[in-house]
Amino acid sequence: MIYAIYVLIGISVLFALAGVVGMLRMPDSFCRMQSSTNISTFGVLGVILGGILYVLFVFETPDIAMAVKLAVLGVFYIITNPISGHAIAKAAYRRGLRPEKEMTCDKYGEDLENAD
Amino acid sequence: MDVLVFFAICFIVLALCLCYRLIKGPSVVDRAISADSIDILSDMALILFALHSGRSIYLDIAMVTAVLGFIGSVMVSRYLEGRL
Amino acid sequence: MSIFTGGASAQILIAGALVSAITALFSARFFIHEKAFFLFNPVRFVIWVFYCLIIFMWELTKANVDVALRAFGFKKINPGIVKIETDLKSEYAQSMLANSITLTPGTITMDIAEAGDKTYYYIHWIDVATSDIKEASDGIKGTMEKWIRRIWE
Repeated sequence: MIYAIYVLIGISVLFALAGVVGMLRMPDSFCRMQSSTNISTFGVLGVILGGILYVLFVFETPDIAMAVKLAVLGVFYIITNPISGHAIAKAAYRRGLRPEKEMTCDKYGEDLENAD
Repeated sequence: MDVLVFFAICFIVLALCLCYRLIKGPSVVDRAISADSIDILSDMALILFALHSGRSIYLDIAMVTAVLGFIGSVMVSRYLEGRL
Repeated sequence: MSIFTGGASAQILIAGALVSAITALFSARFFIHEKAFFLFNPVRFVIWVFYCLIIFMWELTKANVDVALRAFGFKKINPGIVKIETDLKSEYAQSMLANSITLTPGTITMDIAEAGDKTYYYIHWIDVATSDIKEASDGIKGTMEKWIRRIWE
């Protein structure tokens, strides 16, 4: 059991490493945002799942309260991450932030110009 | 050394690497995202330390930090959009 | 409240129910514009849990591995903003689809526009395969739209 938990947490560390490397070497802000989603989905879920298993099976007396707290934390991360990601992406684009490299296609900019 | 503590140290090292983007980031958006990610990574370290020590007070701290980080990033985006 | 104290005595449960009822009373008129009791139907609830645990997890795994490979530099990136369409009617279904798209790494919903009886999403995509509306819709939504329609409509 303990080794399965270590594998789960290790996968989580691996994806967090991928997200951090992506944030350090992606060329523009929106791509960095995609990498930060990588941190806050699998980087979180592995630790939460491993923690629930650890609390229930490795402790001498299973601690239900801690398991419920961990589950609430995981659900909270999963619910709030898309909201803040969407808010920041929209605010950045509306504020006039554009990537230095030309994007392949930009439907949003065209439609915003047509609306004005 | 306990394996959980080793993984917690891994998360903290990753968070320290993100500080480079927090300091240098060309625009405000980069800084907001990297602050949010540093928040999440340090929360993961707190959860692992709670498992190591068996005390649930660290989970409460992680929960409060998560709520504050979410509110902070939404506030920053509202401010950037000019509607605050 | 019972989360923080770790107990489940009658006092704590009643206090928590009171606080959440007051909060719901004040915030309901900002958030709820439609009938809100869909999920009390047990069949829909079972489909919802199945969607969250299996369909969505599979999409999440595929997208996570893909973006991780792109971050380490094994694949090229090709960013751009595309426009996709959907014909979901219910507000809950639309917001659930938008949140699912944002939560998968590689795609971020940037804005929502309604025109006629269709709803359009503007999506930042890290690997633009095509800029056509129909093909981009098929590529991004995948199997998620079918299941969301089964839950809410």
